[in-house]
Amino acid sequence: MKERLLKKDNVKALCVSASDQWETYVPLEGFGGDVQFTKLDNEKRELSLDKLNLNYEILTVPPKVTVFPQLESLFRFQDEKISETVKPKAPILLFGLRACDVKGILFTDDFFKRNFEDIYYLNRSMNKLLVIVGCKHPLENCFCTSTKTGPFLESGFDLQLVDIGNKCLVEIGSEKGQEFVSSYGKFFDEASKDDVECSKIAKRDAEEAVRLRLDFEEAIKKFCDDKVPREIYERIAERCIYCGGCLYVCPTCTCFNVFDDIKASSGGRYRNWDACVFAGYTREASGHNPRFEKWLRTSRRYEHKLKYDYLTTGTSGCVGCGRCLSSCPVNIGISQVIEEVSKR
Amino acid sequence: MARVLTTCIYCGCGCGLYLESETCPERSRRDGMIVGSYPSRNHPVSKGALCVKGWNAYEFINKLDRLKAPLIKSNGGFEEVSWDIALEMVSRRLLKIKEKYGEEALGFLSSAKATNEENFLMMKLARAVFKTNNVDHCARLCHASTVVGLAATFGSGAMTNSINEFEDADLFLVTGSDTTEQHPLIGSRIINAVNDRGAGLIVVDPRKIELAKYATIYMAQDNGTDVAWINAMCNVIIKEGLYDKKYIEQRTENFEELKRTVEQYTPEYTEKITKIPRDLLVRAARLYAESKKAMIVYSMGITQHTTGVDNVKSLANLAMLTAHVGFASTGVNPLRGQNNVQGACDLGALPNVFSGYQQVTDDTARAKFEGMWKVKNLPSKPGLTVTEIFNEALKGNLKALYIMGENPVISDPDSNHIRKALEKLEFLAVNEIFLSDTAQYADVILPAGSFAEKDGTFTNTERRVERIRKAIEPVGQARPDWEILSEIARRCGYKGMDYSHPSQIMDEIAQLTPIYGGISYDRLDPFGLQWPCPSKEHPGTPYLHKDKFAKGKGSFLPCAYAAADELPDDEYNFVLSTGRIYWHWHTGTMSRRTSTLDREVPAGYVEINPKDAEKLKIKKGGRVKISSRRGEIETSAVVTEKVKEGSIFVPFHFSEAAANVLTNPAVDPVAKIPEYKVCAVKIEKI
Repeated sequence: MKERLLKKDNVKALCVSASDQWETYVPLEGFGGDVQFTKLDNEKRELSLDKLNLNYEILTVPPKVTVFPQLESLFRFQDEKISETVKPKAPILLFGLRACDVKGILFTDDFFKRNFEDIYYLNRSMNKLLVIVGCKHPLENCFCTSTKTGPFLESGFDLQLVDIGNKCLVEIGSEKGQEFVSSYGKFFDEASKDDVECSKIAKRDAEEAVRLRLDFEEAIKKFCDDKVPREIYERIAERCIYCGGCLYVCPTCTCFNVFDDIKASSGGRYRNWDACVFAGYTREASGHNPRFEKWLRTSRRYEHKLKYDYLTTGTSGCVGCGRCLSSCPVNIGISQVIEEVSKR
Repeated sequence: MARVLTTCIYCGCGCGLYLESETCPERSRRDGMIVGSYPSRNHPVSKGALCVKGWNAYEFINKLDRLKAPLIKSNGGFEEVSWDIALEMVSRRLLKIKEKYGEEALGFLSSAKATNEENFLMMKLARAVFKTNNVDHCARLCHASTVVGLAATFGSGAMTNSINEFEDADLFLVTGSDTTEQHPLIGSRIINAVNDRGAGLIVVDPRKIELAKYATIYMAQDNGTDVAWINAMCNVIIKEGLYDKKYIEQRTENFEELKRTVEQYTPEYTEKITKIPRDLLVRAARLYAESKKAMIVYSMGITQHTTGVDNVKSLANLAMLTAHVGFASTGVNPLRGQNNVQGACDLGALPNVFSGYQQVTDDTARAKFEGMWKVKNLPSKPGLTVTEIFNEALKGNLKALYIMGENPVISDPDSNHIRKALEKLEFLAVNEIFLSDTAQYADVILPAGSFAEKDGTFTNTERRVERIRKAIEPVGQARPDWEILSEIARRCGYKGMDYSHPSQIMDEIAQLTPIYGGISYDRLDPFGLQWPCPSKEHPGTPYLHKDKFAKGKGSFLPCAYAAADELPDDEYNFVLSTGRIYWHWHTGTMSRRTSTLDREVPAGYVEINPKDAEKLKIKKGGRVKISSRRGEIETSAVVTEKVKEGSIFVPFHFSEAAANVLTNPAVDPVAKIPEYKVCAVKIEKI
């Protein structure tokens, strides 16, 4: 892999410059320390970048929201006239992602191409540059080393930044990444052997800092062999309050509902995030619901991530980000399920 | 794409949530669309989580059937008019009616969904401009009993402790609150405390609510027998010497009267009244008394009774008896329902008080408001409550009503009576975001901005005054309520409502309202302040009555048990209770326009016990007719063990199967809150 160096002092200027060509999303700190991926507004970008925070703990909603919004319109109509509201393709730069979130985006990219080409997603997503800023301080809910999705990746990114003090080692992971570094060459420096060595140490330190360790492979095996006791699902289902949060925040969740909003002879068709824990998700027109009991919905939720995704794509749907646990009002997380299943 | 941190529009938890907005370059600036809502990770209530309603709060805002232009009644329907015409009509008609019939013929219904600033302006409009105290709002229907009962016992009618204190409690006594349905982020904290920290849980509810499955002790009392079981707990605690003598001596008064009153409420006697087995009463009493950090948590099951005030006073007595007020993770915790019902009360949208609960009968208070508002002779007699307003309208005494963001046709008891009252009015004006069932009766409808379209503050149930922030411009020609109210005042010749931004309204509020004295917009970032916050340096108050009660000494105000107004008889042989569910919100104007929520529960229903269903040959999903002395509805049956035999439950969210067609408008004599939780009905399969 080719390497370059990016001094931290140059990061803001790089983002400003890049945002002339790319729709640039960076992690900005807002109220009370909440950090979210925000699109730089060309007019206010310098001011916004004062709030740039690459050392953030976690983005509450994963970056999938930039290419798969919570609500988007599919088409609008006025009398006989219909207009598809597909976003025009524009190059987007996602700067400052975590490894787990990149894995999430790669997963959703695959989903929206796999059985059909989802033009709404693909137009947003197909011309993008993924720049990882690797995790230095994994949180207590993180288990990316168990799912082999972080804190750094071997591939799948365009650029991967490793924090080594007042500078970052930049690993170039693709041709696109190379092009970017060449275009904005004035912000990048040569990486010395020393820098590379430091980056190896930084990566190792980050890996060791991940405290939650699970036997993920064992759990996947048991899921695929249908060896998960129903009692686990029942227990979770009873405690769950059905907020949908765990699935809304999951980097690999792609379910959506479609609805119309019509007034007289005009309106639109929209889609919005859906979640498979809801009863209405499979209720049939007759009123019958094959997954009416709560435990069946819970089992669907976990089997989707840990069995079906794996069997369909070869990768499980869990990227070890711990968001489901962080956003759960009743402290349920997939890590607990993985742990329990792997140990039984 | 833009993002603002705001506060959820739904319940009194007051979760911090972000709204994402998008403006389309092809569309006008007024065509902003909300495209997402998600939690604030660092907000003290949400902590990165939301309930399903918060997660879907983005959807209703841009629905095409939002009211976008002022409407006036015309030819059996409505006709769009300009703001100028609509506002002129409202101000002139109200002034004319005042001139002809007197100010007592006017009524103003404020909104527990609107901001603090807007509630302040509504009561200012009623009082300073129209010289009437006939201003009230839906707290009348929910926690009026709390405001009266806790003010009398403690000196302050608000939740004593804070939401995060639930995380450290040893015991919860949850009664009349289906917490996981109605306040999910509080119910969750109870679930976590019980399951992860071994906290105890006593649930007292005629219905086997979700929380009951975690309960250490679950007691299913008959509807409306709360004074009895609470007195019984006091009886046991006193008899077994489990009360805190020192605390009672130092901090309370009137203990002897409590002792005398509860003497007859032995567990055996109380079992006969409540149907709660006497052993459970004894165990519950001991558990509550012996737990150090014990929190009483209650809501409509306690307040919505003709004995609502007595129910609240009894809980207050129980808490004082055992020194469970004035310390962290203790207290008497009424869970306020609406996003801003606490604020609407705080800001004086009530007939008997100005903002800060300052009595209208108090000369000094009146003089202070007269000075600031530059008016003379503010009305000094308490005005009419919501329930009385509709009675007076029906009688023909109240001629005009101005309603902001409320839907009494669906939310008030005895809907047929409400409809007749509205029809009888000479003039009705409504500020609304959707054409609600109530707005259908209006002469003038003014399109209001939703919570996403204006700046302001809400006060959640733990007294946290927090910001809402404008994410998009008001849709179509809609305007924020504060602008509408100011315009009406101006057109009535009043010059004191000239604000360019809600923060100025808050500055005025702070000057007039001691408990909000230190509140200003520059102090509310990031997550607000809890009142009392009397000065600019004050950090806010997590829990009340520390060291002494708001009124000095807490007063034991013992009550005798009295049965509900209308109990079952031979003809109407079932008890009806009404309430709410998780997936929908109140009259459904927002939640039923949200696809995920609508999909979960698309229509109304009635919960009926399997034994009753069998006797009546009612099957799951079968259609039934429910009738009361007030009216009848048709709905679908859900057969469940959740309700006792002889009882049914109807959620009130569904206008086509409206629970309040059936309910009894009998009210608590002091609080004037209706008895939504008990009335007599009959059911038949159709």
